Amino acid sequence: MTSLRTEIASRPAIVALRRGWLHVVLVPLALLWLSPLVWILVTSLKARTEVFDPAAGFWPQVLRWENYPAALSVAPFGTYLVNSILVTGGILAAQLVTITLAAYAFARLTFPGKNLLFTLFLLQIMFPIYATFLTNFVTVRELGLLNSLPAMIVPFVASGYGTFMLRQAFRQVPTELADAARLDGCGHVGILWHVYLPLVKPTLIAFGIITVVTHWNDYMWPLLVTNSEAVRTLPIGLGLLAKSDSGADWTRLMAATVVVVSPLLVLFVVFQRRFVDSFMHAGLK
Amino acid sequence: MPFGAPFQVRLREAGLAYLLLLPSLVFLAAFTYWPILRSVWFSFHDVVLGDSRIIWLGLENYQRLWDDRLFWKALGNTVFYTVITIPVAIVCALLMAVALDSKLRGMAIYRSAFFYPVMIPSVAAGMVWVFLYSAGYGPINQGLRLIGLPDTAWLYDSSWALPAIMVMSVWKYSGYFMLILLAALKLVPSDLYEAARLDGVSAFDRLIHITLPLISPTLYFVAIIGLLHSYQIFDYVYVMTHGGPADATNVLTFYIYQNGFQYQDIGYASTLANVLLLFVGGLIAVMATVFGRRVHYLGR
Repeated sequence: MTSLRTEIASRPAIVALRRGWLHVVLVPLALLWLSPLVWILVTSLKARTEVFDPAAGFWPQVLRWENYPAALSVAPFGTYLVNSILVTGGILAAQLVTITLAAYAFARLTFPGKNLLFTLFLLQIMFPIYATFLTNFVTVRELGLLNSLPAMIVPFVASGYGTFMLRQAFRQVPTELADAARLDGCGHVGILWHVYLPLVKPTLIAFGIITVVTHWNDYMWPLLVTNSEAVRTLPIGLGLLAKSDSGADWTRLMAATVVVVSPLLVLFVVFQRRFVDSFMHAGLK
Repeated sequence: MPFGAPFQVRLREAGLAYLLLLPSLVFLAAFTYWPILRSVWFSFHDVVLGDSRIIWLGLENYQRLWDDRLFWKALGNTVFYTVITIPVAIVCALLMAVALDSKLRGMAIYRSAFFYPVMIPSVAAGMVWVFLYSAGYGPINQGLRLIGLPDTAWLYDSSWALPAIMVMSVWKYSGYFMLILLAALKLVPSDLYEAARLDGVSAFDRLIHITLPLISPTLYFVAIIGLLHSYQIFDYVYVMTHGGPADATNVLTFYIYQNGFQYQDIGYASTLANVLLLFVGGLIAVMATVFGRRVHYLGR
């Protein structure tokens, strides 16, 4: 009896101790994970000579904010930003249309060849652009799309992954709701628009966030299909700047990096819950 | 005509379904399946970028591949990168997830600290790590000097360049895997842990015998996601080393790029692309047979 009482009494202490021990491990690990970001920020505010001087210390002597305008003036980052928005927005808009239509068909309609077609959609996940870039480049070249914004969009218009996610969500919508709407005279399109889409908003948002993060950061495909400033996106512009600088001016390069990575990081900090939930549950539904 | 009306209804429904699938199917066919078929077709031919003539070669490209020492090196590098990086990242992610699952104070901060690299474009991540790894003034070498270790030009040393990229990849992806595993851990019934704890089972044994079996479907899923993300090594190789030094970081995706875009040899590059698809497909098949059977599903 006494031993049980002491055990109960000491439990919060044990829990606190165990958690304290976890912090001892987690704090250094988190700092290690954050250190590249810290180095980007600190280096972007240093003088060029400070970077190469081992005796200069970790913090900059003077905060050199002028590195930012200097970085932005070497390349047309405004154009890159607009292109990034157009390409990412274009992919997102096109995908939302294609996956909504396809997911409805797979979730609620019966037709011959359904399983085979669904398999074709699912298998697309196994063939990302990194596996098909070569012959896709030949196709895009034949279509005369090279060096244009559509070239960066077309390979991503259909999304097997998005179709799968949305189909799972549609299947969880009670059929009674659709039946009620049908009795009210709604057709399939009306039911899809008025009943299904409003109910699967969380899934649409989750998919949207994942798509935006993926394609905002895309590097290989835009690199292959663009060769002029007018159509380049932010990551491509950053890569070019790195190449032309080749380590000569890390301060300017890091300032440009801050500019390129901050839109998503700021959105992430502001909408943390949404981002985390999207990535957390994307694969599990 | 008892069957007439239902048949018409079914026909109309099927028609509508195909209509709804059409936009996806057009793009799926044009940019996923046509490229794969085409690359098989190209691999039996001599195809030069920008030249409309294609010449039948039979198996010549495959013969060349068999004798190509650089291909075997790139394949070896790809295998090495994949089979080390994914398990290491998953183990890191698992430890992070288990630590964060205990409703810790500051949990959101830790989670963001581990997850933010996923948001950073691969080109920016690669560049920053070039800086971190650089000889002399690079922070990693400065740190090593503090504890009395010699300088290493990580990315210019043929035995360290690929491991250096692998370390960066673990930093980049662990947070993503951690999030997925965290979601799975939340579904593990807590009374199972309670019962085990009362029976005096140690924390480590609880992890091995309760947690791991219960989240094994998610581990399996994370391994597949990891495999698909490992393609992205192209970006890092392109930005950080360009395949060097002495092809120490040349991987299949990069070798395809070199043959197709630098030497304009689309036929041979297609042959390599087919091998890459077979490699990834084979790995997925191996994972499915080895792990797929051992995976436990809750409630089944």
